[in-house]
Amino acid sequence: MREDALTIVMGIDVAGAAGKADEGFIDHFGGTFAMTKGLIQEFGTSRVLDTPISETGFVGAGVGAAAAGLRPLVDMMFVGFIGVCGDQIFNNMAKMHYMFGGKVKLPITIQAQTAASGGNAAQHSETLYSIFAHFPGLKCVVPSDPYSAKGLQIAAMKDDDPVIVFQSTRLMGVNFDQHVPEEAYELPIGKSRIVKAGNDVTLIGIGTTTRTCIQAAESLAKQGYQAEVVDLLSISPMDEETILSSISKTRKVVIVDEDYPKCSVASEISALSAEKAFDLLDAPPKRVTAPHASIPYSSVLEQLHFPSVEKVTAACLEVIN
Amino acid sequence: MVSTSVRSLTYAQAVNEAFHQEFERDPSIILMGEDIAGGAGRSEFEDAWGGVFKLTGGLIGKFGPDRVRDTPISENGFIGAAVGAAATGLRPIADLMFVGFVGVCGDQIFNNMSKMHYMFGGKVKLPLTVITSTGAGVGSAAQHSETLYSIFVHFPGLKCVAPSNPYNAKGLHAAAIRDDDPVIVFNNKQLMGGVGGGIHVPEDSYEFPIGKADRPKEGTDVTLIGISYTTYQCLKAAEILEQKGFSAEVIDLLSLSPLDEDAILSSVKKTRNVVIVDEDYPKCSMASELSAIIAEQAFDFLDSPPIRLSAPHASVPYSPVLEAEYIPSPEKIAQAALSILE
Repeated sequence: MREDALTIVMGIDVAGAAGKADEGFIDHFGGTFAMTKGLIQEFGTSRVLDTPISETGFVGAGVGAAAAGLRPLVDMMFVGFIGVCGDQIFNNMAKMHYMFGGKVKLPITIQAQTAASGGNAAQHSETLYSIFAHFPGLKCVVPSDPYSAKGLQIAAMKDDDPVIVFQSTRLMGVNFDQHVPEEAYELPIGKSRIVKAGNDVTLIGIGTTTRTCIQAAESLAKQGYQAEVVDLLSISPMDEETILSSISKTRKVVIVDEDYPKCSVASEISALSAEKAFDLLDAPPKRVTAPHASIPYSSVLEQLHFPSVEKVTAACLEVIN
Repeated sequence: MVSTSVRSLTYAQAVNEAFHQEFERDPSIILMGEDIAGGAGRSEFEDAWGGVFKLTGGLIGKFGPDRVRDTPISENGFIGAAVGAAATGLRPIADLMFVGFVGVCGDQIFNNMSKMHYMFGGKVKLPLTVITSTGAGVGSAAQHSETLYSIFVHFPGLKCVAPSNPYNAKGLHAAAIRDDDPVIVFNNKQLMGGVGGGIHVPEDSYEFPIGKADRPKEGTDVTLIGISYTTYQCLKAAEILEQKGFSAEVIDLLSLSPLDEDAILSSVKKTRNVVIVDEDYPKCSMASELSAIIAEQAFDFLDSPPIRLSAPHASVPYSPVLEAEYIPSPEKIAQAALSILE
């Protein structure tokens, strides 16, 4: 926001004061996850806008602002709220550049929070990036740690196309003990990274599940197997080259995704691996995902809903043996 | 089927017949949507439309405005009303004119319809049917030509079916209406417009089971999997392949969720080659799901990698020339099969 005066922020409680700044409530929240904290103090109420609870209103305003020359960052809070702003995202944001013959650019960033962070139940715990990746015209990225979160957020905001950033609520409170440079930097959209090299099996993680994969790789190492962990980071466009070159080395792949399984990013990667690395695979691709079921409120069942380190490790052993 | 007994109906006529028969059978069935009767509340214009695709014509005359309700242009309103009506004991059918309108009623479909049965611990049943139109090929451009069933299939709690001809369209609509869970029926515009019509449709009411695929053509060399309109394209591609000496088996998916994995896998295990043909956007799609399932569960049976033939990862063009290129054609399907077989 310091670098580009055209950048604005909009969303529910992004500052948090419900319009009562004059009563001293300014910057009360800084967003549900405190990601936008302090912005209203530095950049003021004309660039940091607390909105009413109307996603279709403020996401639509974001699309219009982007078309007219601003660079909006819009926080839609939980990704499950897509149901009340799908028209703006799927029909306007994704298609305007195409429908106006390339004459309109939409440099807009949407951030949405995904996954169950503990007892948020069926409607506030979804992941759903798969349905966004389905649409042409949207770039979709999923950071997996503080370093990639900062770099991808900046890349998204500098990009001239609509970018959706999916932030896992299950990573928000985790201490990664990781160095994050103070200066601004970008991680390129469309690139995955290898976070651990190995030869026996490729583990593909997305957001939260990259952390699960790293922990599974540690468990596999104790049993004498070296897993390579690919951190997907970008789901649309997808870094096919990194995925396929890892698979061509290890000849086995386990894809770990906490989204619903059907027509998902996991399906897409599994299909891609089979179609483009068929002769290189020693075993069929394997998916470890959430079940095809709504997310339970019960904390016991919620634990079972998401791919665990144990499940991922077991899947790898099955593929290796 | 004896040729003398052929009772030829179009897709729209077959679905309309299913609606009439179901309405007669069960008085708890109601229908809501934009222009499903048509007349904008003015009785002199009653039944002026019968739905944009003529699926619902004649219903208001026979069953009255209590059971057949033209609604305002508010999908969120009438789909939500249908969810509530289903929860409280009716058996509603809601017409979501174009599938791309899911953006304005996604909350009702994804958050209420698909989750209520689960969230109320099984105590609420939603015997609700949503019908919607899909597909390109009629010059409706980017926002009115999508297919999108893949994003509905992504959600647990929704059954999804995509008929491919008048016969299974009648049977699947009857099955959807009688089902105690929410079912979305995806009706392709070209099929509703008459393509692939004129086949025998029995007059008696019947159900086509949800969760079952069909095999309209047997073959031994390659499995072509079609969904809705692309089944029609696959059957034409099978004829091209026949002329070149190859025997293609065509699987008509029909049910997208739940998926008939047995039918798919047993065909692929027999032919050892597969081309999946889908008009939806390619990423995180039905085609991806099918390709993944086949690779994961029939890996050792395959002689060649699965091939997906989808629309490109691009919005649907308005230009007729580009639109014709957009949908997988019989020639492209045959070509894809030949790339494996030759």
